[in-house]
Amino acid sequence: MHELGIANDILDIALAEAKKHGNRRITRVDLEVGVLRGIVPENLVFLFGHVAKGTIAEGAHLAIEEQPARVECGTCGTTEARVFTIGCPGCGSPTARVERGDAMRILSMEIDD
Amino acid sequence: MKVDIGREIQQSAEETAGKIRGLLAARNVFSVNLISSPGSGKTTLIEKAIEALRGRIRIAVVEGDMETDIDAARIRRHGVQVHQINTRSSCHIPPFLLLSALDHLDLDAADLLFVENVGNLVCPAEVPLGEDLRVVALSVAEGDEKPLKYPLVFKTSDLLVITKTDLLPYVKFDTDRVKTAARAVNPRVEVFEVSSYTGSGLSSFLERIEELCRRKIG
Ligand SMILES: Nc1nc2c(ncn2[C@@H]2O[C@H](COP(=O)(O)OP(=O)(O)OP(=O)(O)O)[C@@H](O)[C@H]2O)c(=O)[nH]1
Ligand SMILES: [Mg+2]
Ligand SMILES: [Zn+2]
Repeated sequence: MHELGIANDILDIALAEAKKHGNRRITRVDLEVGVLRGIVPENLVFLFGHVAKGTIAEGAHLAIEEQPARVECGTCGTTEARVFTIGCPGCGSPTARVERGDAMRILSMEIDD
Repeated sequence: MKVDIGREIQQSAEETAGKIRGLLAARNVFSVNLISSPGSGKTTLIEKAIEALRGRIRIAVVEGDMETDIDAARIRRHGVQVHQINTRSSCHIPPFLLLSALDHLDLDAADLLFVENVGNLVCPAEVPLGEDLRVVALSVAEGDEKPLKYPLVFKTSDLLVITKTDLLPYVKFDTDRVKTAARAVNPRVEVFEVSSYTGSGLSSFLERIEELCRRKIG
């Protein structure tokens, strides 16, 4: 349910952009999604394929780039986490701060020339 | 041909949330978005708040459930304004539904708006409702690993209320583990431990809500 709403939002934005370019066929959409978003990329890809059927984005490749979270630790400095971790992945310190990792944006798309 | 977009996916939700924020600011109402799993005690907490703050703060409530107006009926018994949203297939309150729900309330007769979100620890965390304060409730019966499994809601909440502490003798629940995990994603989160059944911890939680409300509405 959750990914379905997002798939619809992606399609709406992509179609609105394509309109500015003469409604040419969309072949690829590039997304950035943070690891803290709890999104399963395969589900999103599947659902996007489903909602795009019958539109100029039908068959478009949805490319998802994962945005890692940034962990800032007083001892180890800054490290990147690809999954949610409690505390610092380096020393285990529970006081490490977790930043970023919550992006959800469309970066760009490819349309027919 | 490549087309640069660089657009947040939930921009339209952000825009509607901005309208809600503007409307509530114009009417001088402080709003609280209350999020938890189903059954963690959200409605009970709101009922306690209504009774404790009666005569000092005028409360209005928007209830969000997929179906039924059971929660709204509970709130109505306390004699405050309430409007029920049924989200049907949606697992959270979308901002446009909250915006139209506000038409049904007399905001000039309210100081504090509680928005009880659909019972769900995942999706409501993604959705801005123009709130002044986001509160996540977690009952001790749900397990102390929840901030690890559902980090976003803990990251985006201002207050964490650990509920049903009267059940602590019967369940394995390490309160410190929850606090540590929540603070790892959100160092500024304020944590309260309450039981709506015994009343333990309720007054400090509600005093904090009242203080934050007064800070906005004067
Ligand atoms: N033991 C105990 N039970 C509680 C407490 N607060 C609420 N409950 C019980 O927990 C159950 C659910 O409470 P609700 O207030 O309806 O929970 P909710 O979060 O509003 O539920 P949904 O709206 O369905 O998501 C009810 O049976 C309450 O009586 C508490 O402090 N201790
Ligand atoms: Mg309820
Ligand atoms: Zn470290």
